[in-house]
Order: sequence, then C-alpha cells, then structure tokens
Amino acid sequence: MSQVLTHSALKGAREAIPLLGGYIPVSLSFGLVATQAGFTTWEAAAISLLIYAGASQFLFVGMIAAGSPLWLVVAMTLLINVRHVVYGPNLAALLPQSRHWPWLMHGLTDQVFALALTRLPHLDKPERFGWFLGASLLAWGAWIIGTIVGATAGEAFTARWPLLGEIMPFALPALFLTMVAPRFTDKRWSLALSGAILPALFFTLYGWANVAIPLAAACGALCFYMVKFESSKGAL
Amino acid sequence: MSTGLWLAVIASALGTLLIRVVPFLWMQRRLGSDSGINNMPQWLGILGPLMIAAVLGVSIVPVNPSTISWTATAIGLLVTLLVWLRVRSLGWPVAAGVGMFGLVQVGASVL
Repeated sequence: MSQVLTHSALKGAREAIPLLGGYIPVSLSFGLVATQAGFTTWEAAAISLLIYAGASQFLFVGMIAAGSPLWLVVAMTLLINVRHVVYGPNLAALLPQSRHWPWLMHGLTDQVFALALTRLPHLDKPERFGWFLGASLLAWGAWIIGTIVGATAGEAFTARWPLLGEIMPFALPALFLTMVAPRFTDKRWSLALSGAILPALFFTLYGWANVAIPLAAACGALCFYMVKFESSKGAL
Repeated sequence: MSTGLWLAVIASALGTLLIRVVPFLWMQRRLGSDSGINNMPQWLGILGPLMIAAVLGVSIVPVNPSTISWTATAIGLLVTLLVWLRVRSLGWPVAAGVGMFGLVQVGASVL
C-alpha cells in the first residue's frame, strides 16, 4: 500500500512540475513585495505557509502596508478566495474518503484544482490520494521556498535574469490550454469555454483580475445554458 | 508582526481553509449517501471545466503586456496546441510552448 502511495505521490509531483513555471516567479515577487511592505522574511514565509492563496496574499500585505483596518483586510482576503468554494465539490467524486482531507485541502489552489480535475479521472482509484498529495505538496513547497528566496534575494534575482520572470509564467497558460483543449468536443462546449476564456482575458486586462475567474465562469455557464435553450428550438 | 496582525493572518488562513475543505467534505458526504452520485448537481459538473477555462483566460495576459509579449503569447499558445494535437499529453506541449515563447521574447530583445 505504501509503495502505491509513494509511486502515485511521485507521479503527482512530476505532473505538477509545469505549475512551478507560474508559482516560482509569482512567489518570488510576493516575497519581494512583502519585504518592501515592511514584513520580515519569516513573516512573509508564514503568510505563504498559512494563507497560501496568491492574489489574496498580495492584497493582504498591500492593505496592511496602507494601514487598512485588520477586519477589512481579513474580509477582503476571504472575499477573493471565496471562488474556491466550488473546487472541492467538483473533486469530491474523484477522491477517496480520508481523514487527511481537512488539512490536505489547504493545497487546493486554482492551478492544483485545474490539474486535479483533468488528471484524476485518468488515474486508478488507489492512485488518486497519493497523486493529490504529491501534486499539492510540491506546489505548496515551491510557493513557500519561492517566497523566502524572493524576500531574501528577490531584487538581485530579478536584476540578474530580468527575462526569466516573464518567460517562466507562460508555463501556466500553456498547461491550462492542454487541459481545456480536450473539452472542445461540440459546438455547445466550444461556445461555453470561449465564453469563459475571453471574458476572463478582458476582465484581467481591465484590472478586474481578482473577480475574473468566477465572473468569467458564470459567463461561460450562461453561454452553455443559452445554447441548450436555443437547440431545443432547433437553432443549433 | 503585532499580535493583531498575527491574528489577521490566522483568521485569513483558517477562513481560506474552511472555504476549501467544508464544501469538499459536504459533497463527499452527499455522494456517500443512498442516492450516491446522483446527488452531484449538474451545474457543478459544468462549472468545473469553465473555471479552468477562466483560469486559462486570466493566465494568458503576459506579465508585461506589449506587442512583443502578445506576439510571443500567440505563437507560444499555437505551438502548445499543435504539439498537444500530436501527442495528447501535458508535458511536451507545455515545454514546447514555453520554449517558443522564450525564443520569441529573447529574439525580440536581441534584435
């Protein structure tokens, strides 16, 4: 049993490697921003260790630095993360029962969710727990280490390899494209997926990155159900 | 950090964890009941892939948007898609896409 766990955890970690292309530059930036906002290296690392949610961590240190009331900082942090509420239920049918989920779900970020929803259906059931463990722990570990490196040597790092911070994050759209592409199976899904991708792109471009994911997914869902309505009248 | 600030970190961390774990456990309990998988609402199964599509849309925007970075993004995504159509896996398409994206970026900065 432990051999299966080790094997599947390694498999999960290996398959999560492309996520690091996005995690490392962003966590380096977070470490740098946090120290510039007055946090020590270990305080920045503690935020990454405990909160572990990219956009909301930037907001957290930014609001603290701006002197916002603490209750408002907590409320805004949770408001940004509320989109995660639909991730767990989507994975519930794919993962086995375990007493470890209450702490393992800490690793359920946007990217880990996307990877898990795509890969878990292709894995044997006994492999799934270990796979999630390996994938989420690698991503979490990279996020914390990236924060520490960013807080201690972020400025020197970005000055020495300025293009690296621009190139590595491309691993994320490339990875998500390979996850979304197989779902373009018919007109209805193609319209719904495009109806989510394009609004997300525009929301982000116009500075609404924090609400882009739930809003764009809602746009996609609207397209999905509208096409169903039209098809019943023979439009598609 | 002051005690108040630590409390804010802990409250944010606990709240975020609960947002992630409670819906998961709730759904696992529903699925484990007599009517099983039929308890999974249809809209939830549709929302999952759409959330991934939205994450893709958000991540497409380059770190420093410019004509060069948008061109590199378009070419990188095209290469990713072409390699994916050939191999139908996750690793190689991503590596090829990042490689091409980097090549265009570095090439443009050298010229």
